[in-house]
Amino acid sequence: MASAGKNNSINAKLVLLGDMGAGKSSLVLRFVKGQFLEFQESTIGAAFFSQTLALSDATVKFEIWDTAGQERYHSLAPMYYRGAAAAIIVYDITSTESFERAKKWVQELQKQGNPNMVMALAGNKADLEEKRKVATEEACTYAEENGLFFIETSAKTAINVNDIFYEIARRLPRAQPAQNPAGMVLSDRPAERLQTSSCCS
Amino acid sequence: MESGCGDLGSSTAPLTWHDFLERMRQPSAADFVKSIKSFIVTFSNKAPDLEKDSDAVQEFLADMEDAFRAHKLWAGSSEEELESAGEGLEKYVMTKLFNRVFASVPEDVNSDEQLFEKMALLQQFVRPENLEIKPAFHNETSWLLAQKELQKINMYKAPRDKLVCILNCCKVINNLLLNVFIASDENPPGADEFLPVLIYVIIKANPPQLHSNLLYIQRYRRKSRLVSEAAYFFTNILSAETFIWNIDAQALSMDEIEFQKKMNCAREHLLGLSTNSENPVSQTKLDGTQKTEEILKTNRLSDCYLPAIRQQNNSNQANEVSMNLGGQNILIPRKQSVSDLENKGSSDLLKDDHLIRYFQQYPFLYARAGDLSVEDVENLLNCYKKLVLKYISLSKGMGVINESLPGQNMQMLSKTETLKEFDDAKVLGINSEKDEGIYREDDVSIENLLSGGDDSETKRTSGGLVDNPSAEREKEVCP
Repeated sequence: MASAGKNNSINAKLVLLGDMGAGKSSLVLRFVKGQFLEFQESTIGAAFFSQTLALSDATVKFEIWDTAGQERYHSLAPMYYRGAAAAIIVYDITSTESFERAKKWVQELQKQGNPNMVMALAGNKADLEEKRKVATEEACTYAEENGLFFIETSAKTAINVNDIFYEIARRLPRAQPAQNPAGMVLSDRPAERLQTSSCCS
Repeated sequence: MESGCGDLGSSTAPLTWHDFLERMRQPSAADFVKSIKSFIVTFSNKAPDLEKDSDAVQEFLADMEDAFRAHKLWAGSSEEELESAGEGLEKYVMTKLFNRVFASVPEDVNSDEQLFEKMALLQQFVRPENLEIKPAFHNETSWLLAQKELQKINMYKAPRDKLVCILNCCKVINNLLLNVFIASDENPPGADEFLPVLIYVIIKANPPQLHSNLLYIQRYRRKSRLVSEAAYFFTNILSAETFIWNIDAQALSMDEIEFQKKMNCAREHLLGLSTNSENPVSQTKLDGTQKTEEILKTNRLSDCYLPAIRQQNNSNQANEVSMNLGGQNILIPRKQSVSDLENKGSSDLLKDDHLIRYFQQYPFLYARAGDLSVEDVENLLNCYKKLVLKYISLSKGMGVINESLPGQNMQMLSKTETLKEFDDAKVLGINSEKDEGIYREDDVSIENLLSGGDDSETKRTSGGLVDNPSAEREKEVCP
């Protein structure tokens, strides 16, 4: 859950969902190790990372929780996304199967996740244009219909990787001045999900 | 504050714990001591109520920490110092309440037994491939190391100390994944790689009372400290537990009939072993088919020769049994199991006229706990190590993959042996970890401090580490 502390710093749990091999860990590693060395806080780990982003109005500290993408571990996911303020659902643009899996995740989160959760759909491996199986328009339409932020990324070339995390940070609900910092932060902007995505507007 | 794996060791450092005890000895801490004492007494006298118990402890810890913050004893202290005072308090309170809240209801005890049995069966046939562990991450040495870390969980009473065992286990796995990544062109490892290895390691380690341990951490580790990286890895072990509970043919990508066959086969094999080891866990689960009855009978018969030696030396029993258990990870199914061979070996030995000569090289075989002196500990440990090395080399030579060393399954024996072996444990306890020694010593001293000699109530309820023989015993078997 996103929780705000002093000086408008926000702690946000972000969960990564997606098929095995879609590049969840590559994506987060690119984000954490890529360009923000001065903010790097994470201990060397393989599945958990923390990273702080400084925005103009707040500092957002992401705690990034990776999940196992294999079908056999699917039913365990609720234990990981419980209390998450944000989710990135990752698929591989060269695999229609991974896109179908991504849609399942979206549906599940809409049904069972935190209603204020900021959700982003990431079409990863955008550098492999020649092997593309999932059209940008198709994913974009899907994202719009479901109120998700959508962007195509490449962990390999770093394209759009930081953007997706920054956009999530921007969309996180900001704390109300008089609120209990430990409590749940409620947003007065229910329109999150209706915002258009960046790629096809 | 980050609570990543890297800095999790800090609050278990002896210095921190000392610092807490020192402050509690100050005259100005008298009110704190009184509150802590009164909380422990009141709590211990109430009937168990899972929901309320956890809330009561969490609330008390939070209130006390707020009071510490406002008190002159901690005036000018850093956040870290206050944090470690909170850690000290948690460790103290929970060590006292351990016997009262750990596995205190029949449901938890049942769950422990069921989970233990399921893993004891699964560990005999689950292969890394069944869980989708990529070949690149197959590394018996690392897995064994991770298992060892997890098996230490029953050596401790404080929720944080138990949690650290889990985190250390995860850290070993993380290191394995990262080393493979660095050495190869693989994609960076993540949860896809981590979780399956963790599940495999848990099944192989099969620490007794895992379910109760997890519940205990969940309920009594201060909520504000079970966050961030620690929370992530704790969630992983919780989800691994859930997965293991639900393992069926599909979860292992096995054919239904094949799965049932392997489970039955494992059960029979386990029965053969468990009657030998007098393991209460599996004995309660016997389904009285004729076949198992037969196994029981034959085992009892072959056992008849052994009680004489067992009575002579309990620790010998532990060795012998765990050697049997150590043989349960057999790669290729064979008609004669290692335990069968061992049984045959021991009965042949007992028939041998020159029996004495064989045992002369093992000076402690006929020793009683009371015969041992502190000086014997080093010798005993050396003998033990020699035996383990010999046993491992012999098993390797026989083509048996030894994933469990003699000794690692001894924890479950402790349940049956603890009372009569308490003396033994006290002698051997000297050999336990250094900071554990300090831990206990201080535990006794603060015990005196808190009870102040006037309140028999506290004395009765004060557990301390000393009057839980099972924890004592577990400490020395897992150095």
